Amino acid sequence: MALFTLQDISVAYNKQNILKDFNLEIEKGKLVSLLGPSGCGKTTTLRLIAGFLKANEGKFLFKDKDYTKVPVNKRNFGFVFQNYALFPHLSIFDNIAFGLRLRKNSKAEIEKKVMNVLEIVNLKGFEKRYPQELSGGQKQRVAIARALVIEPDILLFDEPLSNLDANLRVNMRVEIRRIQQELGITTVYVSHDQEECFSISDQVAIMNKGVIEQLSDPATIYKYPETKFVADFIGFKNFIDFDERTDTGGKIELSKSGYSFVLDKDARMFNHAGKIGAIRPDDLLIREKGDAGAVQENSLSGRVKVSTYLGRSYQYVVETPIGDFIVNKEMTESYRMGQEIILEIPRNQMVLVD
Amino acid sequence: MKKRYLYLLLLPGLLFLTVFMIIPIFLTIGTTFINDHGFSIQGYLDFFKDRYFVEILLTTLRVSLFTTILCILLGFPAAYYISKLKQRKKAIMLLLTIFPLLTSPVVRSFSWMVIIGKNGVVNKVLLSIGLIEKPLDILYTPTAIIIGLVHLFLPLIIVTLVGVMENIETDLLKAAESLGASRLAVFSKVVIPLSVPGLVIGSILVFVGSFTAYTTPALLGGKQRVISTFLYQNAITLNEWQVASIVATIMIAVTVLIISIMNGLAKKLNPKG
Ligand SMILES: Nc1ncnc2c1ncn2[C@@H]1O[C@H](COP(=O)(O)OP(=O)(O)OP(=O)(O)O)[C@@H](O)[C@H]1O
Ligand SMILES: [Mg+2]
Repeated sequence: MALFTLQDISVAYNKQNILKDFNLEIEKGKLVSLLGPSGCGKTTTLRLIAGFLKANEGKFLFKDKDYTKVPVNKRNFGFVFQNYALFPHLSIFDNIAFGLRLRKNSKAEIEKKVMNVLEIVNLKGFEKRYPQELSGGQKQRVAIARALVIEPDILLFDEPLSNLDANLRVNMRVEIRRIQQELGITTVYVSHDQEECFSISDQVAIMNKGVIEQLSDPATIYKYPETKFVADFIGFKNFIDFDERTDTGGKIELSKSGYSFVLDKDARMFNHAGKIGAIRPDDLLIREKGDAGAVQENSLSGRVKVSTYLGRSYQYVVETPIGDFIVNKEMTESYRMGQEIILEIPRNQMVLVD
Repeated sequence: MKKRYLYLLLLPGLLFLTVFMIIPIFLTIGTTFINDHGFSIQGYLDFFKDRYFVEILLTTLRVSLFTTILCILLGFPAAYYISKLKQRKKAIMLLLTIFPLLTSPVVRSFSWMVIIGKNGVVNKVLLSIGLIEKPLDILYTPTAIIIGLVHLFLPLIIVTLVGVMENIETDLLKAAESLGASRLAVFSKVVIPLSVPGLVIGSILVFVGSFTAYTTPALLGGKQRVISTFLYQNAITLNEWQVASIVATIMIAVTVLIISIMNGLAKKLNPKG
């Protein structure tokens, strides 16, 4: 059962719709992340859940109760801000105790809970310090502790790691996931770092212009994007807009400008009527023209237009009669620019999207 | 121009201040410690034994204190309101706030005379609705001075506070709210503590300004002396330059003392701000 639900929500700034007929359901104990390009409405969604923002239309249901008009301070949701938002005039102890004092906990209780949460975030011994005396990672852990200690029903993160350096980001996201799973807190996590979202989430929602294009577990999104936008966003850089698609038994036959291709029919793709083929640069094959025993199926002849050295591999832009393709290939020596080659689309690597 | 010659730009101003302010101040202070027999603090001892003078000093301190407290109470909510406005409205409100500063204190004091005098607007209204039987004596009392000074200094403290409040991150207020704070709790637990620097600066400005103000107390205080009018009386009317110098030195000392007390207080209230 869903813990909370956003129902047909619309939000507009200056008469411009930022979210339109937005729907989202999240189950208890799950970590769901919102991923999408800058300006797509991730923060807006999060602020709406927190109650900082009022929807023009739609409902917010929490445990089947209408929470749409419940004010922020009555919601008991924890919010972790991108820039930590620690109170500069309070010590770490007092920062964390802030919510508990408002809840009129006893002194002994506050002491116990604060110490306990400091242990969870690995910050024992820091309680007397002030926010200005901590590193970025430590501040973020205090911010998490402060949100955790009130035992929130939902924990909301808005790009909590974007101010940290790369190593720390990886450590912190593991920490966040560990704490979230240990305590079983329902969490919504916003980021525009794909790897971060995929590594810590039960489910990822890919957003585009105020709409969720796909909501699935990370592995499904990674392998089976459903729309062109999602595919593009997660690295399927090559698209073929096929003229025709015919589904037969175990295969799908496709054609484009007189060239035909065959794909193995994957159970996942049955439901999709999409005619746009998407494939990652890593999954395309190229080889020299004139190779003996070349398989002619799903192949095109092409010419290397651009060659870029990426360190572990080379990246080529290959020109073919049905458009340009980006191909990554691990090899010691590159194909020359202008070289004629064969490009092959493996039967089981392309997905069809809307 | 080379950087190290840039300090030359400071020279004209520095020279002016030295000749016309720093040297005279030290000369003034110096003369108060000298009598016919050389170094002496007799002048000060005589002073603090004089009930009349001590009374004036205390009245001045009291007036300044009340003015400061009133300015804080009136200015703080107003400043918070203004700091929350959108850019355009904020600019308009700030302009309105400092508008009174554009008229001279003399004009403003005269208008207060019209308002709070024996036959002034306030008394007339109160008499006509029967709240009082004979006119209130407001004009020419410390109360009148306080009213005039609050009018004078309110814009100052508002502008100072708005400057500080604008810089309080809105995320801090949101964080407090999400932790369960009502609007009132956000205000008292976050906004007020984080406004302490502005409060301190504003209070110093108001207190020192009230303590040394001349025009307003001279016009609204009538016979009620404050320390600056007392100084003027001694120097100009009575030609008692020694006395006037001692009063001036005491004023400087009190000012310095107040500033350091306020700073100490601020550090205590906001240890890491
Ligand atoms: N206060 C506001 N007034 C007007 N428009 C706003 C306001 N806040 C956000 N917007 C607009 O709403 C859209 C969505 O903003 P939002 O902050 O939700 O994006 P986001 O997905 O969080 O982006 P980012 O990854 O850059 O943080 C943007 O186009 C933004 O310009
Ligand atoms: Mg954002």
